[in-house]
Amino acid sequence: MTEAKFAIVVLTTALLTPSGITAQIASRLEAGAVVTGRDGELPSSALQVAPGIRFDRPHIALSARGSAWLSEQQWQVADGIVSGTFTAPTVYGVRAELLSNASRAFSDQSLGNDQVDVQTRINVLFKHRGGIWVGGGVARPWRVAVVSSVDVTGGGAWTRVGDAMMSGTFTNFSFTKIAPGRDTAGASLSCATTTGPAPVDRSDAGAVFATQPAASLTCSRQSRFSDLEGAIHWEHGRLELNAQSGYRFGSAYDVDSGSRRWSAAAATLWLNDRVAFVTGGGRQPANAARGIPARSYGQVGMMLAAWPMPKATVAVAPARAVLVRSFDVRAAADGMQKITVRIGGVETVDVMGDFSDWSPLTLVRRGRDLWELSIPLSPGQHQINIRVDEGNWTAPPGVPTMRDGFNGEVGLIVVAGDR
Amino acid sequence: MTRFSRFLLGGMCGVALCAPGLVAQDPDPFAKLDPNSRFAVEAIIDSAQVAGLPWRNLRSRALEAIAKKVDSRRIVAAVRTRFTTLKEARAALGSVGDGELGAAAAVIEVGVKPEQLTALRNPPRGRSPLAALTVLGDLITREVPRDEAISAITKLWQEGRTDADFMGLFHGVESDILQGLNPGAALQNRIREFPGRAGIKPAPPAGEPETLSP
Repeated sequence: MTEAKFAIVVLTTALLTPSGITAQIASRLEAGAVVTGRDGELPSSALQVAPGIRFDRPHIALSARGSAWLSEQQWQVADGIVSGTFTAPTVYGVRAELLSNASRAFSDQSLGNDQVDVQTRINVLFKHRGGIWVGGGVARPWRVAVVSSVDVTGGGAWTRVGDAMMSGTFTNFSFTKIAPGRDTAGASLSCATTTGPAPVDRSDAGAVFATQPAASLTCSRQSRFSDLEGAIHWEHGRLELNAQSGYRFGSAYDVDSGSRRWSAAAATLWLNDRVAFVTGGGRQPANAARGIPARSYGQVGMMLAAWPMPKATVAVAPARAVLVRSFDVRAAADGMQKITVRIGGVETVDVMGDFSDWSPLTLVRRGRDLWELSIPLSPGQHQINIRVDEGNWTAPPGVPTMRDGFNGEVGLIVVAGDR
Repeated sequence: MTRFSRFLLGGMCGVALCAPGLVAQDPDPFAKLDPNSRFAVEAIIDSAQVAGLPWRNLRSRALEAIAKKVDSRRIVAAVRTRFTTLKEARAALGSVGDGELGAAAAVIEVGVKPEQLTALRNPPRGRSPLAALTVLGDLITREVPRDEAISAITKLWQEGRTDADFMGLFHGVESDILQGLNPGAALQNRIREFPGRAGIKPAPPAGEPETLSP
């Protein structure tokens, strides 16, 4: 329990840190009620608090988030993840990404394990329309009945149609695990390697593990299955809808009947730029490599602030023909100027100008469509360009502009000073 | 893990890890210029330093062009042009700050004659023509007839209008143009909103006496 309280305190403190301290940090907090149910069990409900924090640089993103449940007057860590993404610059529409995660997952108080994983992706972006990616990686779970690393390979495609973004992914999982000598239907299996009770790693004596080794015959068996999933994200005005549905291919040994098909949906209604009402529900498939069973869930709650859509979900769109709704530069504390941009439905917003020696600076998402960056600007005139989703550099709206002499335009900002 | 998947994973890791380093920004800002162009740009910047011109403006101009992937020959031409217009701006404006010189050089490059800026010459202490030059450049970029734009800005300047007045003019003209008004009509429309002004007329040729509009 000390661990849970510590995680909550650290993440909540980070969340409440004044945003002016560093403009590259974004945070959010979700709080609400969640109801979950596994097959054959009564549904259980809990109060969920999920703080998160994210640090963005042009080619590096670091994030941490977690969640804790208050159930039966006890706080319990539900999960936690620390992620890092290294993104190579886009060259001729092709971009490489390296993603790494360290996570701890709990299904309930008696079922928890850890995992470290790393993935690489090659994205091919088709201007304005969509893109495809292929990738692969390896995950290493601990404290589960998996005796090898998990090989993950897959690919996907995405496209934008109007206000909607649609994506489809196919992901293949392959690993060796210790399992009973019978499949989920009860049929006897031939084992490649017959062992006694499963040799589960119990190096952490304080933890309680998912695996309950069968007293009878167990197998060391190669397990393979593939997930085909489609997802759609649609936003219009203050409403955002997300839905996904999937099918898992694999033998009855590797895929239990409750994880063959799944679907889930969530709706977010923004009350203002930083506060949203969130509701949703559906079914999550089992995480076979980590021993987390399938579950159905429903949730309703509030979200404070937000950050960009995870890059792991959908590749970045280049040069989308969207317009910045507003652009503003105002004096902030300590000689800094705060750039505020309002634009929805994009993943990155960059500015560059004489103040940055014409190197791109990435704005931080502070709300649904709110992006901010604090920079030191000396009194005088400054030239500035803006781009969204790594598209073309343009002059921001609402400020004087001039032709730049290179077939484009720059915006002009006049910062008042002491005269 | 099969040998193939190890090879695939290793290869992709290599690409992901090496690519950022390969294209990372070089600490030498002019490293992307070919040697001849680099020599020319650095020589012009040195000349500006010797002449007491705002050489940082020239450096920024070169960096802007590099960031926008302009070819080296055009970069040299742009820096050389800016060097020339900075000299013309200083001759027109007299003793003003580097920022004002840079802004004046930019409006000269969009077609304003240096002598048309003499109305802004030697501003009184505590007053800067920066906002006036910024809005002038914007009006010309928005295709307001050049002479009308220059006339309007110089007269507002001579009337002692503030930076807020110039920015207000910009916002008004921008709004009218976005609503479909002809750029010249938009300027006429907005200039009438200033107290005591009924309109503008093009600035007289340089050297001729100038009268304020009623």
